[in-house]
Amino acid sequence: MRVEKNIRVINKLGLHTRAAAKLVKLCGGFGSSVSLCNGQRTADAKSIMSVMMLAASQDTDLELVVHGDDAEEAARKIAHLFENCFEEDE
Amino acid sequence: MFTLHGTGVGFGIAIGPARLIRRPGQEVPEYGIPPEQVEDEVRRLHDGVASAIECLSVYYEQIWRESTEEVHAILDAHLLMMKDPVLTRESASIIRERQINAEYALQIHSEDLEAIFRNMDDPYMRGKADDVAQVIGRIQDELLGQHAGQSSLEGIVEGEIIVTHDLMPADTIDFKKHRVGAFLTNLGGPISHTAILARSMQIPAIVGLHEGIRYLKTGDMLVIDGKRGVVLVDPDEAALEVYRKRAEKIERAHQALDAIVDKPATTLDGHSVTLTANIEFAEEVVESIARNAEGIGLYRTESLFMNRKEFPDEGEQFDIYSTLLEKAARPVTIRTLDLGADKQVDGGRQSMSPATNPALGRRAIRLCLHDLTLFKPQLRALYRASVHGELRIMIPMISNLEELDQLFVLLGEIRDELKAENLPFSQNIPIGGMIEVPAAAVAADLFASRLDFLSIGTNDLIQYTLAIDRIDDEVNYLYDPLHPSVLRLIKSVIDAGNAAGIPVSMCGEMAGDAAYTRILLAMGLREFSMDPAVIPAIKQKVRLTDIGKIEPTVGKLLSAGDSGRYRELIERIET
Repeated sequence: MRVEKNIRVINKLGLHTRAAAKLVKLCGGFGSSVSLCNGQRTADAKSIMSVMMLAASQDTDLELVVHGDDAEEAARKIAHLFENCFEEDE
Repeated sequence: MFTLHGTGVGFGIAIGPARLIRRPGQEVPEYGIPPEQVEDEVRRLHDGVASAIECLSVYYEQIWRESTEEVHAILDAHLLMMKDPVLTRESASIIRERQINAEYALQIHSEDLEAIFRNMDDPYMRGKADDVAQVIGRIQDELLGQHAGQSSLEGIVEGEIIVTHDLMPADTIDFKKHRVGAFLTNLGGPISHTAILARSMQIPAIVGLHEGIRYLKTGDMLVIDGKRGVVLVDPDEAALEVYRKRAEKIERAHQALDAIVDKPATTLDGHSVTLTANIEFAEEVVESIARNAEGIGLYRTESLFMNRKEFPDEGEQFDIYSTLLEKAARPVTIRTLDLGADKQVDGGRQSMSPATNPALGRRAIRLCLHDLTLFKPQLRALYRASVHGELRIMIPMISNLEELDQLFVLLGEIRDELKAENLPFSQNIPIGGMIEVPAAAVAADLFASRLDFLSIGTNDLIQYTLAIDRIDDEVNYLYDPLHPSVLRLIKSVIDAGNAAGIPVSMCGEMAGDAAYTRILLAMGLREFSMDPAVIPAIKQKVRLTDIGKIEPTVGKLLSAGDSGRYRELIERIET
């Protein structure tokens, strides 16, 4: 199964190190492959180095692509993490 | 056994094992690898990564309970980065392509990554560069045989002797928490941050060892003689015995000083002198009171702004200042932000790029007047806190009268705002200036006529007057508080304050050095502010001084043209 979704970075600090770590940990729990693309660069969302290189600051639009058996659940939870500003106080 | 020599600062003698601390950015060795050994070197890299992960995981478990969620999140991220094959893969291909050692390949990879992150538009993204440097630094430490946990201050054992290239002002916060035995640094002079820190912790330090620390490794047994600037490495039993005896003797002298804590600071001829404390953290108030400081003569606010990403807002500052004023229950002089020069901040503002000559750049009051979003919350917080105790506000580095004009307009605005918001503040908060730029010292009478008190900051005053960078160990031998020009400037500031009828104090290092106490008393200084640890020693000197006897000599001193005669007069005053 393949799920595509547009996601916006809304938290002030963007995909900084700690946020990237949370995302990577979450993605690591799914069997599906997960990628994020900012238009220029595509990151493997299971590699923290790769996610950090995305330079996704506040208001960046990202394209999420999840591929695999648990794609739907993964996409939902990932979108939720972004919407919740990575569960951090701003 | 062998010895190393540097500039001794701080107190007494320390005996203990060395703990080497490598700083990010410090050089790692670079060497070529023969083609047939390249795969071994790649394996060495993988082993290094594996043991760095192991080390960090163990450390993580150890501190899990007592650390905050924020620390967990950072360590989590660092572990993920270490485990990320992307990181290792890139470094491995650099080893293969360039046939170089693993540490250096990591360095190249780290610098590439850091360059990418530092070039990102968003300042928050730049913090990633530090994370990368730290993670790669830990792996390099493993490869170099220094365990990752030891690359920073984690796991420091009481009594260990910190050996490092140089200390930054920001290190202060970390070191005060650990009871380390001594500091040894390659850089620094008698007035460097290391020296100030060592004095305040009452431990010895030897600075300016140049490349001396390269002969040391973690675990080496060391004896530090802070007075003579000598390090004994792997001392034999006889030498150890001698130094243990001397350390005991010094300890006894300290205890003798403790005995005069409750006695007044009055000279033999009945002049009473005010001794106050310089502090950096609000917690130091407790120590200051224990040493019977009559007030806080200088509370430096920079530490509130350092080692953090976001600056403290008005509310946070208000809480800190109010608590401090209440806890002190005696006059507290709070200095407004003195950032810039050698005190750079980590995060927050992109405008604080390092200038070519930061000591002469936009720092202290210049920076504050330039960036009111920084200055105004601090002033508002101070005004609001003023009802919680006896507050005096001190402005650092004033050098021209327009700065005072701007300041007073700003303070007027703040008073109006607070009135409009129905927030209480004290009606007479003394506003003083720190006299540390020669321009302000020469024209001290002009500044004195518009301020409520003056405080002489000798560290900068001396470095600006003599054109000596106090942290440059190649010229710091020229740094001389007794230089006639310096003494004349100090005298003229004291005289200007007396003529205007306002108090003059001194809060620089000179005020806390008993070697200068008499000469300053004879020049008319009656208020000394210093590290709380040295208050008893200065008090002892005050109590043994007869100002009337030495006053005439000072007149001669300030007009002595011959350096031999000059030293002779100084000797006469100080003994």
